[in-house]
Amino acid sequence: MSLSAIVTPVVGSFGTALVPTAVALAVALLLFLLERRQDPQAATVAPFAALPPLAGVVVAPARATFVLVPLVVGLAVAMMARNRRDLLHSECGLKLLWVLGPALALSWAGMELLTLSTGTSVFAEQWAVLQLGLEPRFLWSTALPLSLLTGVVLLGAAPFHFWMADLFHGARAWLAPLTAAAFQVMGAMWLARRLTGIEAIASAVAFIAGAATLLGQRRPERRVGTLASLHGGLMLAALAAAHGREDFVDASRAMMGPWATHLALAYTGASILARFLPVAPGLAAPGATLFRRHPITALVGALPLLSLAGVPGTPGALVWLDTASTLAATGHPGVLAALAVAWLAAFATAIQQLREGFGIPAQGQPPERPTPWAARGALWLAALGLAAMGAAWLGRGFAG
Amino acid sequence: MVVLDTVGGRVKRGVRLLTTPPRPGAQITGMLLCIPGMMLLWLPSLWAAALGIELIGTAFWWWARAAPDPGREIPRWAWLRRPAGALWLAAALHTVVPGLSHQLAMFRQSLELWRHVDAIAVMWAGLELLAALPLARPYSDLPGPLLGIRPWLPALLPAAGFAVLWRQSPHWTQVAVVRNIAEVLLVLTAVLAALRAFGRRRWTASLRWLVVSDCAMAVLLVDLAKVLPGVVLMLWLAAFGGHSFLLAGELRGAAPRRGVVLSLLWRMSTFVTSAALTWPALVSMFPASTERLSALGFPAVGIATMLTAWINVGRIVEAPERRTLMRADPAVTFSHLGALLGLVIAPVALLGALVTGFHPSPLAGLASILPALAGGGLALWSRGRARAEARARVQAALEAAHDGHGTRPAAAYGRGGHRAEPPVRDEGSAQPTHAGLALRQFARVTFNVVVTLERTVVSLIARFANAVTSPLRDLNSGDAQDYLLFLVGLSVLVLVLPLLR
Repeated sequence: MSLSAIVTPVVGSFGTALVPTAVALAVALLLFLLERRQDPQAATVAPFAALPPLAGVVVAPARATFVLVPLVVGLAVAMMARNRRDLLHSECGLKLLWVLGPALALSWAGMELLTLSTGTSVFAEQWAVLQLGLEPRFLWSTALPLSLLTGVVLLGAAPFHFWMADLFHGARAWLAPLTAAAFQVMGAMWLARRLTGIEAIASAVAFIAGAATLLGQRRPERRVGTLASLHGGLMLAALAAAHGREDFVDASRAMMGPWATHLALAYTGASILARFLPVAPGLAAPGATLFRRHPITALVGALPLLSLAGVPGTPGALVWLDTASTLAATGHPGVLAALAVAWLAAFATAIQQLREGFGIPAQGQPPERPTPWAARGALWLAALGLAAMGAAWLGRGFAG
Repeated sequence: MVVLDTVGGRVKRGVRLLTTPPRPGAQITGMLLCIPGMMLLWLPSLWAAALGIELIGTAFWWWARAAPDPGREIPRWAWLRRPAGALWLAAALHTVVPGLSHQLAMFRQSLELWRHVDAIAVMWAGLELLAALPLARPYSDLPGPLLGIRPWLPALLPAAGFAVLWRQSPHWTQVAVVRNIAEVLLVLTAVLAALRAFGRRRWTASLRWLVVSDCAMAVLLVDLAKVLPGVVLMLWLAAFGGHSFLLAGELRGAAPRRGVVLSLLWRMSTFVTSAALTWPALVSMFPASTERLSALGFPAVGIATMLTAWINVGRIVEAPERRTLMRADPAVTFSHLGALLGLVIAPVALLGALVTGFHPSPLAGLASILPALAGGGLALWSRGRARAEARARVQAALEAAHDGHGTRPAAAYGRGGHRAEPPVRDEGSAQPTHAGLALRQFARVTFNVVVTLERTVVSLIARFANAVTSPLRDLNSGDAQDYLLFLVGLSVLVLVLPLLR
């Protein structure tokens, strides 16, 4: 059997949702084991059990029902808040609860109000009733956006982007990526289920506000978080582009598959790299230990970050370009312009981040303490998984 | 045992080499980035051009971080990411809007916006590299970040700008508004660069500005589209090549200025190549009675041409020989060949232009050659006057020595050729302009006033943008207070309620 006969199906399998998510899960396990080795008292195996359900949401977005959303949110918050001595982690859990709790409550209230005003709980019937010019208008025009609130917040697109940066900043590197990806998938599905498309203005706001925020961020983790919020904006833009299509539900699900798996893998790699990057070191500070001792690993490990930013040649660029093509084809010049601004900001931030990582050559010997092998292995795994995903997409044509 | 130790040592060294391979120094890494980057610029693909500029920017950053003063060098060259970004945008635009081909005779109306954005992006990238935008205009005043070839390195950037604008000309020359704006900016750049070259005392800095002026003139020819792109390339190669060769020569002991013949040859070569480059532009801009903008453009380009010719003829002086034992150089050196090549290429290119349809009226042709001739003539006249003054000074010094007042004898003035000329210092140091202090002062002040004005406007815009976005930054620091933003988000949602369906 020739080498290509083995490699081709392996690479091809990265085009599915299952394999990249499994790689993300494996990377999370590796990091979890590293954390356990460093602090055997604090870590137990139980928290890792939270990850498979999150991965399940990423693999099968269509199954993320309204009932599942509070359960998954509750699980993530519980995992973060379980250790009260871990201040940053538990604070992050509380912040999520603070945002997502009211959002879920308001959405629930909105759905109930809508049911009350239309007399039915089936979405299709609700739309049919609303088209008749239902009175009082105030009741349903308030209830409808309230019912959408959870979807917009979970998607993490600006102006609801701030929790995303906090998640990457505060939560563990093995927990944050899959949590963020799962939440965004649930948010996208929430919106897609209720609507046949949303107005493009929302995604334009998400891009512009996200880009402005990104340029102001100084912490690497928060930069990753804000990049994640821009990906929420990408999904909003894709939904806006598909507005009014007959096959909206099927088309939006087809878009979500590659988008979600790319997020899972790219967030995983980028959040690990962010832990090894210096915080606003200034232009002439020595580079990070990872970049000084293991420059090749650092360069390979930067692939997920570059992919999130849509740097050409990475799988993420396909996601950005595909959304932009759809917007151009469906006649949304304003959103396309906003997307271009966001892309340039993301690109510039990713390059800036890499330059800060390399810093200036340090005088004397490199630092004695190496970066743990498990972390380096996790970086390689995430980057190779992402590269294979890109190859698979190119092989069969990106179907975002 | 000794043998075993030796073998063991070698194995250890081999293993160490495998586990920690030797890392190339900053100089080599930068070169490995910069050379492919420059080569990519000559490919027709916009993606290749964007990658090329990105690589050049990365090379400058890599050199800057290894410079003795990285805190100053890194921000100085950080602007190179802007042109790269603009080109990435243009390349991406062509991918997402497939109908945006500039080869099509008819454009769809809906694509007009993206056509303009594409043209502006490409023009921005090229002009910023050419020092034609107010954002990073004075970069040629300072040497580059790499220690070995610092004074020469910035000359790469206008060349990159020319490569982008020449290769990607279909993207920006087919949009009339963009083309007109580019024309104004290029004329202004050519004048400012020539003024700066005229005003600078340091010869290497002066040469760097001449390179900028050459590239601006060449792109102006692309913009005017009166001669074929191949002719423009040849004219640019001759003029830019000559000045960059001289600049490189200054780092190698001022080799192109060693000896009477060489300095004369280079004086002729740079005069001819610069005049050949600007002549078609001047002919094309020769004012018709109704064209107000062209009427302004012609004198502006004429001034730039005259100043360039003045510098070429007036400032290339023979370098003093300091060696006591003369080395036996070959009769024909690379310096001779370089100068001769320029003297051949420029006339051939002009001939090519005339053969391929560039037919100026006799009046326009004659009037357009006048600025270069005037510049060369003024330089010769001022050189002659300076020589006479120097001779008079020498005479006075000799007389003073006879009288026993002890002034240093004039024999100290150089070896060989120009015994009567005042001494000149070695590479990069002050060279005689023979133009008078007042003229040089005027050139310096004019340049500084324009650049200061530009910088003030840019700084005001930047401060305004900073003030507008600072609340957003403050609300994203990660504090619990940030969650006030949640309330803001809710308010925004309430405001856009009617827009949601």
